[in-house]
Amino acid sequence: MLQRREESKMAEKIKLYDDAKCTACRGCQLACKQWNGLKAGQTRNTGNYQNPPSLQPNTYMFIHFQDYVDEGGNVKWLFRKEACMHCTDAACVTVCPSGALYYNKEFKTVGLNREKCIGCKECMMACPFAVPCYDAATEKIYKCDMCESRISNGLDPACVKACPTGALKWGDKDAMLKTAADRVKELGGNAAIYGDKFVGGTHMMYVLKEKADVYEGIKKDPRVPFSVTLWKSWLKPLSLLAAGGVIAGSFLHYVIHGPKRPDPEDNNIPNEKAEGGK
Amino acid sequence: MGSNPASNHPISFKWITKAMEKGAKLICVDPRFTQSAAKAHIYAPLRSGTDIAFLGGMIKYILDNNLIQREYVVNYTNASFLVNPAFKMPGNNKGVFSGLKDGKYEKDTWSYQTDAEGVIKKDVTLKNPNCVFQLLKKHYSRYTPELVSKITGTPKEKLLEIYQVYGSTGKRDKAGVELYAMGWTQHTVGVQNIRTMCIIQLLLGNMGIAGGGVAAMRGESNVQGSTDHGLLFHIWPGYLGTPTASLKTFKDFNEKRTPKTKEKDSLNWWKNTPKYTASFLRSMYGTNVTLEEAYQLMPKLDDGGNYSWLTIFDEMYKGKFTGFFAWGMNPACSGAHSNKVRQALAKLDWMVNVNLFDNETGSFWRGPGMDPAKIKTEVFLLPCASSIEKEGSIANSGRLMQWRYKAVKPVGDSKPDGDIMSEIYLRVRELYLKAGGPLKEALTKLTWPYGKKVGHEFHYDPRTVAREINGFFLENKRLENPTKKGEFKEFKKGDLVPTFAWLQADGSTSSGCWIYCGSVNEKANLAMRRGTKDVTGLGLYPEWAWSWPVNRRIIYNGASVDPTGKPWNPQKAVIKWDGEKWTGDVPDGAGNPGSGRPPFIMKPDGVASIYGPGLADGPFPEHYEPVECPVEKNLLSPQKNNPAIKRFDARGVGSDLDVYSGVESCDPRFPFIGTTYRVSEHWQTGVLTRWCPWLAEMQPGMFVELSVELAKERGIANGDKCIVKSARGEVEATAIVTPRFKPFSIDGNTIHELGIPWHYGWITTADRKYENNDKKPEVNTFGDAANLLTSTIGDANTMIPESKAFMVNVTKKGGK
Amino acid sequence: MRRGLIKATSAYERFVHWLLAISCLLLCLTGLGMMFHSLNFISVIMGGMKAMKNIHNILGLVFGVSLVLAIVMWWREAGIFVLPEDWEWVKTAGGYLWHVDKVPEVGKYNPGQKMFFLTVALFGAVMFFTGIIMWFPLSFPVELVRWMYPLHALGFVIIFAFFFVHLYLGTIGSPGSLPAMLSGWVERAWLVKQHPKWLKEMEHEGKLEVYGEEKKPAADKENV
Repeated sequence: MLQRREESKMAEKIKLYDDAKCTACRGCQLACKQWNGLKAGQTRNTGNYQNPPSLQPNTYMFIHFQDYVDEGGNVKWLFRKEACMHCTDAACVTVCPSGALYYNKEFKTVGLNREKCIGCKECMMACPFAVPCYDAATEKIYKCDMCESRISNGLDPACVKACPTGALKWGDKDAMLKTAADRVKELGGNAAIYGDKFVGGTHMMYVLKEKADVYEGIKKDPRVPFSVTLWKSWLKPLSLLAAGGVIAGSFLHYVIHGPKRPDPEDNNIPNEKAEGGK
Repeated sequence: MGSNPASNHPISFKWITKAMEKGAKLICVDPRFTQSAAKAHIYAPLRSGTDIAFLGGMIKYILDNNLIQREYVVNYTNASFLVNPAFKMPGNNKGVFSGLKDGKYEKDTWSYQTDAEGVIKKDVTLKNPNCVFQLLKKHYSRYTPELVSKITGTPKEKLLEIYQVYGSTGKRDKAGVELYAMGWTQHTVGVQNIRTMCIIQLLLGNMGIAGGGVAAMRGESNVQGSTDHGLLFHIWPGYLGTPTASLKTFKDFNEKRTPKTKEKDSLNWWKNTPKYTASFLRSMYGTNVTLEEAYQLMPKLDDGGNYSWLTIFDEMYKGKFTGFFAWGMNPACSGAHSNKVRQALAKLDWMVNVNLFDNETGSFWRGPGMDPAKIKTEVFLLPCASSIEKEGSIANSGRLMQWRYKAVKPVGDSKPDGDIMSEIYLRVRELYLKAGGPLKEALTKLTWPYGKKVGHEFHYDPRTVAREINGFFLENKRLENPTKKGEFKEFKKGDLVPTFAWLQADGSTSSGCWIYCGSVNEKANLAMRRGTKDVTGLGLYPEWAWSWPVNRRIIYNGASVDPTGKPWNPQKAVIKWDGEKWTGDVPDGAGNPGSGRPPFIMKPDGVASIYGPGLADGPFPEHYEPVECPVEKNLLSPQKNNPAIKRFDARGVGSDLDVYSGVESCDPRFPFIGTTYRVSEHWQTGVLTRWCPWLAEMQPGMFVELSVELAKERGIANGDKCIVKSARGEVEATAIVTPRFKPFSIDGNTIHELGIPWHYGWITTADRKYENNDKKPEVNTFGDAANLLTSTIGDANTMIPESKAFMVNVTKKGGK
Repeated sequence: MRRGLIKATSAYERFVHWLLAISCLLLCLTGLGMMFHSLNFISVIMGGMKAMKNIHNILGLVFGVSLVLAIVMWWREAGIFVLPEDWEWVKTAGGYLWHVDKVPEVGKYNPGQKMFFLTVALFGAVMFFTGIIMWFPLSFPVELVRWMYPLHALGFVIIFAFFFVHLYLGTIGSPGSLPAMLSGWVERAWLVKQHPKWLKEMEHEGKLEVYGEEKKPAADKENV
């Protein structure tokens, strides 16, 4: 029993966010800042509890506060935790030139080794969720790394630990998928899972009580950009083919056809030779 | 209702969520759709200050539809008690109860009918027109859903839906709990708000059972501890009443304050009062003086005197104080009518501000509108340690005394409060011994065994204090076991007292707070325990810390069983009789099964009060409008406001600063209801949280939430800077225009309400002057105190200011 | 240098060529170091991945400048197809792929060379502009920026293919060619073989420079 638990500590895991249980207490937002040693920035209230207003180099996650009136005229206050979705098919990992962004082998989350980051910002362009943030001062990228140092030591991510209501859970993939499915059934109505059907499945997954497209700022149909697929899956192999082909072709030409040698007699200047030809 | 636990008690919401996972339904009634409302199954809007109307309607519904837990009501409440026929109620007495004279009730007509022996006459059929039950029914017959809807602005269907859902918890296998906070207390009818809910819970049999109760969500993590240990003027530790001047001797005091009863089955636990008062006096003076001398040395209240917050600052403003200790508080922002408070502080000769950081109180003299050249107050800032920099205990809403440990050393020169207090005491004592002075012995005779000097400094030891609070024997004593006749126990001088049942009235025991007796024994300080066993499966966790009294987790759990001792709900039994003793929770009030002992043992008559003649403003709650209100009249009766409140607006009572609006009739200058509340990210006046950059980043400034309709009327767009103003002051706030606030339809009129958080103050703003040594916040906040707007009108019983309902105006900054 | 060699290129031509070529090579090298994780090790001699990126970016500017110089310098001669002779040459594949008795004579640069020039001009420009956008992605709409990466990669594939052929034919595939870009002096025989028409033009216009000999005047002047 104990051994199984130890083994499962290193299995593929999902962080499940259940918006119906979230009270937007923002213990998670603060725990993230505290664990990662992130600085606070000067903000101002712009007519919403939401602050900072978006992801930033010093803000790996934040809670959306959204007033919503549904078709029945019922007033609701929707909360949504936004952070890196830790895709199975992570466009950012695919494009990263230095390997700073990588897949964690045990948990299949997307880690970030900032020392390797060269600040090229390709990940920012590739991410379908617009997650990575660039800091011009350090010339590096910042994002949630699923508290890799914590999860690698058998602990929950800081946000999960801070959550009082169980809106955030961290567990084995299959168990979390089952929890999510059961919860969707329990909630009924428009409730659904968000994150199981695209980019190969995300490791930060939502159970949303309302229809997904109601939530402001949510990406309705996220996918790895086609340009990334074109480049990484097609052009890159093609380039190797082309290069190899050209090199091989040149070699073959040399040994089969041979080089175009000039005739040494043409180094003299008889007029008739200047007409060309042999 | 009256609270917003999702925002302000987020950890409590863990348990609310668990309850919902098990099928519990959450109802949220609030003027505004809050974070709690966002999680609730049912939400209903309610105009601030009309909770009694709402709940009175629920009482009527429960009675009309016969949803009461009848056996419980008959046996465990005073529903069957017969009341003096001369007693008159607001329905046919111009909106007040009988006996009102000059703003105070003479309670002769509120008495019970008694027989020749003085035993209260009862009608267990609950039919006698003078019995409490029928009086209750008559009183609340006026609270029809139509009228309630007109007063509260809650749609009638919502009222009935909630009444029906909550009323269904009267069944024996159901339970309902109410969580309230400042939303109920901060009104001129605050205590009566809570009382109305108590009545509902008693009618439904929801007190003393698992999942029942009326739960106070405290505003601070240790305010329960502060009231337990008598930090309020009117009580000694353990809820013993402070003596008044007319109680000249200790005997008089005990005589007057020890309740008596003729109800033969009633345990009347407060009959033990002399044991607790004696033990308390011993904890103050030890055996340095006799009990009588100790009593003489203790300060007394003037008869009828009131020394609560509003009175203190009124007197201070009138120049009656020389000095002031602002100890762990920020009155310049937390006091109602902050301008009056700030002006009052300027009248002092000196002030000692004990806090972690500089704040609006300590620096009041350089705040907005202040001219330091004209202020003579000398301010001492003593930096103190925070709760994680010292050891000690806190007591939470569940009466749990939980021990806390020191995690880090205090920063710089800051010291734990106990050290500071001890140092001050010891030096004052020295001065007295050298130079004498008034009340000398009151101070010099005190025992102070609370730590020891380490070098120059006195280090207060909370573990020693915990032992004294528990109590110990001052002499060798042989005593009979109060719960086992014929069994005797020998105690030696210095032994800890096992439970308060062993405390003595003869001065042989000492106890700093009798309700905590039993929290420390020779083996352990039980508050340090962290056991997670849950034998009953009810979530009582009896080995987690220690709760008063005697580690009982659900008080009045004697009411969870019927008079024969069988649990009302065997599936969720709090206590169970195993043939010899009660098992489960520590039994409270329950005599052996069939003993006939009524379980509410702290009440002299042993039963819970549906009829409550002990309160200043009436034995039944009655809806009165807030003093500053948006309506011309009270739709229920000709009496507009609570008749028993202290009127600072009356001539000769308040001050020139005590101005109000909308009292007699609506004031067009301030046409909207203003209310105050909190956010998760800040705490109280933000005196600690505004300095925390992560918190200030999340909630950087004063905002005002208002409805889309009101914003449109005022030309205010979301995010606009606004001025919110009352008769007493104004604040700048950023507008949050939201559909979560909706205008109320009150008797056909549209009435708007808006709300502001009370967490802000000028000391962390960007546009104040910072001197060289001033701490600068990493993240600036914006805005000053919400309490600049609130009024100095308090509850009739507690004097808590009516910060939840006052009249304001809101305009766009720079606009009309 | 010995007598009889003919001047094929000026110092400026060679400077621009090598500026372009070297910057292009280094761009390919540093670019490959970022394109394939298995080639990340290239960064070791560049001073780290971040330095390699910076080098790539700066070299891109150098490349851009040299590309402009190259285009300005060569567009007339290498950028315009002359018909029908260029097409005739193409039909014989210049004699490179199968035996041709007589390769049609074309001007200074043959169509193969012209195709290479145009490819470099076009795709070099593409590399430059896609590169600039990739360097400052935050200044452009993300939908636009996303397409810069595959375009940049495509440009590389094409340029590399053409470049390697150019390298082969400029060295072992066509002996005698290399000196044209090194010392600038080539063998007459090579000119006869590769650029017979150009040789005739030079002689005709009196532009022929033979090492160790005086410049001969224009042929038609001689015949006056």
